[in-house]
Order: sequence, then structure tokens, then C-alpha cells
Amino acid sequence: MNKESQMRAAINQKLIEMGERERLKELLRAKLIECGWRDQVKALCKEVIKEKGLENVTVEDLVAGVTPKGRALVPDSVKKELLQRIKAFLAQHST
Amino acid sequence: MLALNTLKLDQWKRLCPRLTCRLSPFTRSGGACSVVSSGNSRRARCEAEDGVSTQIAGLEAKSCICHLCGAHLNRLHSCLHCVFFGCFSKKHIHEHAKSKRHNLAIDLLYGGIYCFVCQDYIYDKDMEQIAKEEQRKAWKLQGIGEKYSMWEPTKRELELLRHNPKRRKITANCTIGLRGLINLGNTCFMNCIVQALTHTPLLRDFFLSDRHKCEMQSNSCLVCEMSQLFQEFYSGHRSPHIPFRLLHLVWTHARHLAGYEQQDAHEFLIAALDVLHRHCKDDNGKKANNPNHCSCIIDQIFTGGLQSDVTCQVCHGVSTTIDPFWDISLDLPGSSTPFWPLSPGSDGSVVNGDGHPSGATTLTDCLRRFTRPEHLGSSAKIKCSGCHSYQESTKQLTMKRLPIVACFHLKRFEHSAKLRRKITTYVSFPLELDMTPFMASSKESRMNGQYLQPVDSLNNDNKYSLFAVVNHQGTLESGHYTTFIRQHKDQWFKCDDAIITKASIKDVLDSEGYLLFYHKQFLEYE
Repeated sequence: MNKESQMRAAINQKLIEMGERERLKELLRAKLIECGWRDQVKALCKEVIKEKGLENVTVEDLVAGVTPKGRALVPDSVKKELLQRIKAFLAQHST
Repeated sequence: MLALNTLKLDQWKRLCPRLTCRLSPFTRSGGACSVVSSGNSRRARCEAEDGVSTQIAGLEAKSCICHLCGAHLNRLHSCLHCVFFGCFSKKHIHEHAKSKRHNLAIDLLYGGIYCFVCQDYIYDKDMEQIAKEEQRKAWKLQGIGEKYSMWEPTKRELELLRHNPKRRKITANCTIGLRGLINLGNTCFMNCIVQALTHTPLLRDFFLSDRHKCEMQSNSCLVCEMSQLFQEFYSGHRSPHIPFRLLHLVWTHARHLAGYEQQDAHEFLIAALDVLHRHCKDDNGKKANNPNHCSCIIDQIFTGGLQSDVTCQVCHGVSTTIDPFWDISLDLPGSSTPFWPLSPGSDGSVVNGDGHPSGATTLTDCLRRFTRPEHLGSSAKIKCSGCHSYQESTKQLTMKRLPIVACFHLKRFEHSAKLRRKITTYVSFPLELDMTPFMASSKESRMNGQYLQPVDSLNNDNKYSLFAVVNHQGTLESGHYTTFIRQHKDQWFKCDDAIITKASIKDVLDSEGYLLFYHKQFLEYE
């Protein structure tokens, strides 16, 4: 593992241990619903299902088809807010 | 995580009909999934105590990582045949499945079961039930509490839906729920309140889902009549409704409102809530004698807690009481009690961004005045338990607990010894209101020296939206009540007895305002 992924793992571990990761997930979930992202992604999923047909579509089809567009649709403001929150948390709990 | 040890062997085989390999390690322990439970057992066992949650979180942080690459993310899956964690995105769990021929794995995020033979997630009702239950317990343990889960019909409901195939679709512009009310002789004071109540979202949902189970013997249950009223309003009929039964019941249960003369809409609101609350209480017979712990729908929606702090000016000891309230009555400038100036330190303007004495009076001005510390004067000394004698004191009101629907009553009708008149001062009110500055908790922060609370966008608890405005036109002797109600976001209608017309937001906000109904924006589950 290179230094970056080591750091990522360490931060992740800290977030999980303090229960902050779950809280951040909840926050993110709420923000993504509020800004309409979830509805947009739902629409994208429906498109994939229509394309492949309800009987044949697999979860992988949806993941592959929707993930890149879904990631791009996340508003910058939401990303900023989450980042701020993580930074604040790390500042508070740095060793 | 999953309490997979609750599954029996035959249920395992049922999971995927194409799976033929036997899950032999499990038969030794009588069908229980002991292998997986040993991997996740600490999590599965420790559900009860809160202090253990950090232990569990620590274990999760260290043990739930991909055995091949150490990643925690990347859609981590747990093998259901042995203790192996592998990420999905990098296909590490796929490698494991192929090499060991362990064809079932579980997604650690959502509890979905993946079958490598079918190459897709499979759905089993029992597994989903377990996953749901365990997820709920995990959330509770983490302090997240209950979360919204979608409605799923019961068998009976499915039956009813099949027998009644007719459906009504609610579109963004539909006018369902809008219906005029015939004036039966100065009954606009009742009509205006009925319009506000039938458009209170939670109340509407309660009645339209038939939640009232009547236990009153007679036919005079007002809650049943309300239920009927909602059915009438949401029936789709466009002709005005004639509320003669409602009027009769109101005369029966609130004698002081009987008769054909004009009454006060605010008085009617309080009387109606009171009768509904009393008739609802009969549903939970056991709680009938305890007014502070009623769980009827009226209390759930309308009841808040008002905190009154009396501070002794000598020893600074504080005596606190909390009283329930259904509405907040606010004094207005122009009444015989002085409105301005407000005392310093009770600052609401930062959050709601409104003006000061030189502009129009705002609702937040009235709220600031309502929650300001008030000197009780030398003629009203209170017995202080700290000083053991009568001392001068200050009294301050703040909101301890906000109701889901907050009703503000602007005291426009003055009935003092000297005069009876209507105060027509314009008070501007907002579409969205943040009650944070008026909360008891905010006052405590201010007293601890934390002035000027930063606007916390993450805390949505105290945000309210306007959904109904009752207006009075005319004089104290003869006047008329009308109501603006919000049908959809930014779509308002004016209800003038039998006549319903479209209204603009400007019409609503420019109106004088007598009763203002606000609804909490974000609701939580208990």
C-alpha cells in the first residue's frame, strides 16, 4: 500500500471507531435527497432497466450503467460540506 | 450485521435453487451458521448496551477489511461459507468464490445476498426480514435511532387494494382537498379554522388513513365528525360542503360558542382542539387522567412546552416551570401594553434576517418581545426558595419543546376595561421561520456567554414553513374571516366560505394576519 492509501485507511479507521462514519453517511444521505440527487439517480436506474428489460437486468448492470453519471451529478456544495465536516473532525481528534 | 445463526439449514438451501453444494460445516452445530457467526459473533451478540458500541466499532474498523487488499470500502462482502472478507469492486470476493467454490456472499453494507452461480443478488423474504431487523438494531446502537422505511402493504391491505381497483392520482397541480364551506349564519369563524385543519398535513394523513377508532357510545364524537369532514374534503366533490353536523356538535360540546352571533376564530380553534383532545383520549382509556402524557393525535401535532423562568433579583436563583401550549398569543404594537423597546440580549434578528423598529413590525419582533426577560415589579414579588423571602424578580418565557404545528395568534382584539377595539397594525410574517433563537436551549447558550449563534445549517430541528393564514376583515362588531391555505409548495388558495380562489404568495404575505399556522419542516421518528 502506498502512503496515500495508508493514510486513507488510517482516517477511515478513526472515523469508524468514533462512530463518525455512520453519522457522515446519514448526513450525506439527507443532503443527497434534499438536493434531488437521489431522484435523478432513480431516473437513471429506470433507464437502464428499460434498456436491459426487467427480467434480465442485474445489479451489476445498474452499478456499471449508473455509477459514473451518478458520481458526476453530486453537487459541489455537498462535497464541500462533507469535506469540511471531515476536516473539522480530524482537527478535533488528531493525535 | 446479520444474525445468521437464526437460519436453519433448509432455509440456506432455499436461498438459491441452483446451488447444489452442501453446506456441511453447518450441520455439525445443528444447522446454525456457526462459521460466520464466529467471525461476526461479537457484533451479533452485543446488541443491548450502549457502551459496547465503541468496542464494536473498533472491531469493525480493524477486522472488516478485504483479506486480499485490506480495503474497507469497495463494496465489501463476507463469504457465507467461511470467514473471508473480500471487496466486490476489485473482484476479490469473486476470486475466493471461484477457488473455494463458496458460492454465497453477503454485502456488508446492505445485507444483500449474492449468488456466484446466478451472478446476481437473490432475494429471500426471511433473509430480508432478518437484515431489516438487524439494521434497525445497529442504528439504535449507534444512536441514529429509527429511520424512515417505506410502507409495505399487509396481506389484508393487498386484498382491499385488489378488490378496489379505482385509483386517484395526485399530480403537482391537483386541487384535491379544496372545498368550500357554506356559511350557516356568521359561521365563518368556524369555517376558517376547518380549512386550516383540513390542510394540516399530519392531521390529514391521520384521518385519511382511518386511524381513529371510536370508543364513544353516543353519536356525538367530534373526532368521528372530523374524520367524516376529511372524507368530504378529499372526496373530489367540488360543490361546497354544508357543515351543519359539525356546527351542532360544536354547540353541544362548547356551549360558550353556541348561537348565531360572530365568534372569535381563535377561541373556536382552542375549543375545537380541546374537544378533539378529550374525545381522542377515550381511545387510550388508560391515559385519560394524565393531561401531560396524552398521546392523542392532537397532542402529538399541536402541543408544545413553554418554559417560564423566574429569576430572583437578589440571589439569582431560578425557578423553572414548563406548561403545555397549543398556540402562542403575541401582543402587538398599538395595544395598551407598550411594545418597544425590546431588552438587549434577546436577539432573534441574526437568524431570521429582519429589521428593527424603524421598519414594519415582524413576527420575529413579536416573538422576541414574547421571550424577553420581564421585570415583575415591586408589587409582584415572588417568594424565593433560595432567599426564603419575597423578592423582586424577572420572568422569561422560552420554548422548551416545539410542536409539529405551531400556531401564532396575533392579539388584534383588545378587550381592556377602557376600550374594545381591533388593532390593525400590519405585522409581516415569513414563509419560513427558524425558531432557534426563541428556544430554551438557545437562551442557556447565551447565558453561558455564547452570543450570536452561528447559523447551523446541519440543525434543521427548529425550521418551520407557513401553511395556513387566517385573516379577519372588518371591525370588532362585524367582521369576516377568511383563510389562505397552501395546497402545494408555492401554490396558495384563498378560502372565503363557499368560494375558493387561487392566491399569490404576495397576497398571503401582504395580508394582515390573525392566526398563522407553521409546520415543522423536518420530522423525526421517536
